[in-house]
Amino acid sequence: MDIELSADDLKFRDDVRAFFKAHEYKPGQDYAQWRLDWFKAAREKGGWDVPKWPKEFGGPGWSPTQHYIWEQETARANLPWDLPFGVGMVAPIIMNYGNAEQQERFLPDIRARTVNWCQGYSEPGAGSDLASLKTKAELTADGKHYIVNGSKIWTTMAHIADWIFCLTRTDASGKKQEGITFLLFPMKQDGIEVKPIITLGGSHSVNTVHFTDVLVPVENRIGEEGKGWTYAKGLLAHERTGLAGVSRSLVALEKLKHQAGTVKRGNGSLLDDPSFRAKLAKLEVDLQALEFTELRSLARAASGQQPGPESSILKLKGTEIQQRIAHLTMEAAGPHMAPWGGIHVGPKFASGGTQSYLGSRAFTIYGGASEVQKDIIAKNVLGIRTQGGSN
Amino acid sequence: MNFDLTEEQQLLEDSVARFVADNYALEKRIKLAGSSRGFSAEHWQTFAELGWLAVPFDEDDGGIGGGPVETMVVMEQFGRGLVLEPYLATVVLGGGVLRRTLEGERRAELLGKLIEGKLQLGFAHSEEQARWDLEDVVSSARQDGDGWVLNGAKTVVYNGGNADLLIVSARSSGGQMDTDGISLFLIDPKTKGVEVQAYPTVDGLRAAEVKLTDVKVVAAALLGAAGKAWPIIEAVADEAVLALCAEALGGLEVLYKDTVQYTQERQQFGHPMTDFQTVSHRLVEMFMEYEQCKSLLYRATMEYAQNGHEAARTLSACKHLIGTAGKFIGETAVQLHGGMGVTEELRLGHFFKRQLVIESQFGNADFHLEKFAA
Repeated sequence: MDIELSADDLKFRDDVRAFFKAHEYKPGQDYAQWRLDWFKAAREKGGWDVPKWPKEFGGPGWSPTQHYIWEQETARANLPWDLPFGVGMVAPIIMNYGNAEQQERFLPDIRARTVNWCQGYSEPGAGSDLASLKTKAELTADGKHYIVNGSKIWTTMAHIADWIFCLTRTDASGKKQEGITFLLFPMKQDGIEVKPIITLGGSHSVNTVHFTDVLVPVENRIGEEGKGWTYAKGLLAHERTGLAGVSRSLVALEKLKHQAGTVKRGNGSLLDDPSFRAKLAKLEVDLQALEFTELRSLARAASGQQPGPESSILKLKGTEIQQRIAHLTMEAAGPHMAPWGGIHVGPKFASGGTQSYLGSRAFTIYGGASEVQKDIIAKNVLGIRTQGGSN
Repeated sequence: MNFDLTEEQQLLEDSVARFVADNYALEKRIKLAGSSRGFSAEHWQTFAELGWLAVPFDEDDGGIGGGPVETMVVMEQFGRGLVLEPYLATVVLGGGVLRRTLEGERRAELLGKLIEGKLQLGFAHSEEQARWDLEDVVSSARQDGDGWVLNGAKTVVYNGGNADLLIVSARSSGGQMDTDGISLFLIDPKTKGVEVQAYPTVDGLRAAEVKLTDVKVVAAALLGAAGKAWPIIEAVADEAVLALCAEALGGLEVLYKDTVQYTQERQQFGHPMTDFQTVSHRLVEMFMEYEQCKSLLYRATMEYAQNGHEAARTLSACKHLIGTAGKFIGETAVQLHGGMGVTEELRLGHFFKRQLVIESQFGNADFHLEKFAA
């Protein structure tokens, strides 16, 4: 056992830090331009704009340890905004299952961040049970187009997206996982209606999307008709065993400690309050453990082994801890968690804390609710055959 | 031993429940919360006509002589509707101070107006550094000839922006954390040197910051004896804790019952969600927590009716349990509603936010557990 980073890894870390420093956003700069320039510069570093892409598609080909270092450093740096749907989600599917023409057509814009994507998976009746989706795609008589009808829900950033990658049903006769087809199409066209859903914190990022006779050329289909579930599932599994966000949580916890230190209690601060301290300490204990769970998982991947059982708990534990940090931040604000509507009263972090807490409730719902994740672990990791479960 | 409501109490509960059913559908509440004062003046007149504003006042004062049980009945039903009208601020807190301090003609005038629905109050006591320590008061009151000069800042004063009169606490003697030396004043928010900054709160209510800069008030503004306000503050805070717990309980009932209904209707994997034990067991846990909260609320309310502030330890137990159950029931309700739970489209999200704010009023679960253990 050895937990030291190698000399090469340390050099890589310094290199990452130097890059972030050299390309920091400077107040007054045109943000949109800085953002595109940043990705360009990262690209010139050898694929740092697409860390997880395979080498043959221009990725950096990092080791798992290098990925981990990158995640640690990005948690502390102020990177340009980046939606996960393009580079992180649709691109791997296009790389794995799309044809050369589709790769040529879509990947460059995705990589340059000039085209925004959204994900059309969940439907009003198909949440955790995603495979029961009903949005219909029918082939026209001439076989040149699909006609898409139906509704998607929780579609993040659909209101700004240029394109959608969408799971549709082309055949309802067999098992629900069969007959699902993976289509790509532009959002700005007749027959697509986007309606905002306002979430608990009062903000708008998710939407419902309705399709009425939307025409999609067959050349926008990824892979074979009816195989869309297989393509999407591979990515979902990849998402679920992703990292636990430990670096970000460590940064958030540090910030919380600092914030609690600014809340006066008697002659000291909230950090002197025994019950608050105990909750902070408990969070730190759990994060210390999770950090090493993540490292154990990583070490296995680094040596080319299959993910071990420990990797299955990363998302569950990670999101739970993120929620607890958000809750404790709100609690630190005391009576000042309540003032709302852009008003700043009491400690500086107060209104943001409540907003983050409300937002954090979705962490254990989207991308597969925690209950479903546990079913999957029960089956795949513990080998339990469940009765009528979700898998 | 009898936990049934009396006939009068039952009538009161029925009438508040009917009002809530008729007037507090989610769309109506959202509209009202966004209106200029954040509640309905018309509803407030209804409250007056139906005698709800008279509940805690003596018959000699034109009230109905109700006690903690009557207030609990009203607040629990308000909690089931997420009622926006400032009953806690005006009747429980403001009215609680006035009925303990005013005398003679002024008493008749102001309590009369309050009961008729013509007086809105705000209890401007909390200060930023105090968090929930009621005795922590640094705002100052200095005697000036016959009158007083007030300086300081009060924070998160519910209904502060709508109040016709503010009840302000200030220290006329003693150190920051002394219970002795705190005085209460009744002031017009339009008095020179009073600055009121009103804002909405995350649960759709209204509050305000109140700044006092060399505010000159007459001797008659002093409520009760100078420096001797502590027992009054303690009493209205006790009653506010009980009222908030009753309101929370009403909300918890809605949260768990809505979740029971939703999960039975929602089909996933070819089954109603309640077919999955992880769901049904959690529903049972929500229900168990709710019942425990109800028991402790009854206990605290009845002990307070009998023994007043001697029941403080039970009140703390109740606020603690309501706080922890509110978090558990609220978060679980959101989780089991899935994506719908984190939107503003279903009422449960609004109920959840009210639970969070109640937890931030008059001490959270940790604060009251410490008081209980002390």
